Amino acid sequence: MSEPIKPMVDIVVSCGAMHFYLSQSDKGTLVFGGDLDGYNTYAQRGNLPLIDHVMAAGVSLMPSLSRLRFHRHWGGVMDMTMDGSPIICKSPIPGLFINGGWCYGGFKATPASGWCFAHTIAQDRPHDLNTRFTIERFSSGHLIEEKGAGPFPWAQ
Amino acid sequence: MIRIDCPFCGPRDHGEFTYAGDATKVRPAHGSTDMEAWLDYVYFRDNPKGVHKELWHHAHGCRQWLVVERDTTTHDVLSVAFAKPSKSGGG
Repeated sequence: MSEPIKPMVDIVVSCGAMHFYLSQSDKGTLVFGGDLDGYNTYAQRGNLPLIDHVMAAGVSLMPSLSRLRFHRHWGGVMDMTMDGSPIICKSPIPGLFINGGWCYGGFKATPASGWCFAHTIAQDRPHDLNTRFTIERFSSGHLIEEKGAGPFPWAQ
Repeated sequence: MIRIDCPFCGPRDHGEFTYAGDATKVRPAHGSTDMEAWLDYVYFRDNPKGVHKELWHHAHGCRQWLVVERDTTTHDVLSVAFAKPSKSGGG
């Protein structure tokens, strides 16, 4: 997140090729998003090479960012799955349902996924939209590979 | 920043390395048809909070594969060794 500046961006900028996104908050700070730490961790601190990587992507997209100062960055734990997609399904135990493994996505998909999950619980069977998001997809081979990165959670 | 003391190159920051995950998994025999064993090898990982034994490739250095013991809560590196010790005793 940058220092606050005057209004500059009134949309969400997203660049799939660089896995970078940017928006501006009401306070004027530019909010950036980028990749994972790149290894298993519970430290919740991020790392400098990744910050460098995210900013390099940002500057290549919008050179005007290069003189801005950084204020802070988020540090959390990502619940990664082996194919980069979430698990929203019934479990082998009756009455136990699973909604997890959202990787670094999920925030924007919360209403739709919550609706599907509620349907799964209420009807005791998945909604059409989450039928494939099972745990069994790893043994059956029906993976939902968002990025085609293979079974490497740190590379999703 | 994680600093890994490569047994060949000395201490280097993790930007020189490529991460390759859990080092404790053993690949089933090449002709194995045991699907449970393959499922376990390809998809199941413990992801411990604490000491994790993992592979790092010194891609921008000596290009050796290393087995690193690292604490996933503090990023302390506890040990570093070549993944495949040299037959000539060099590591």
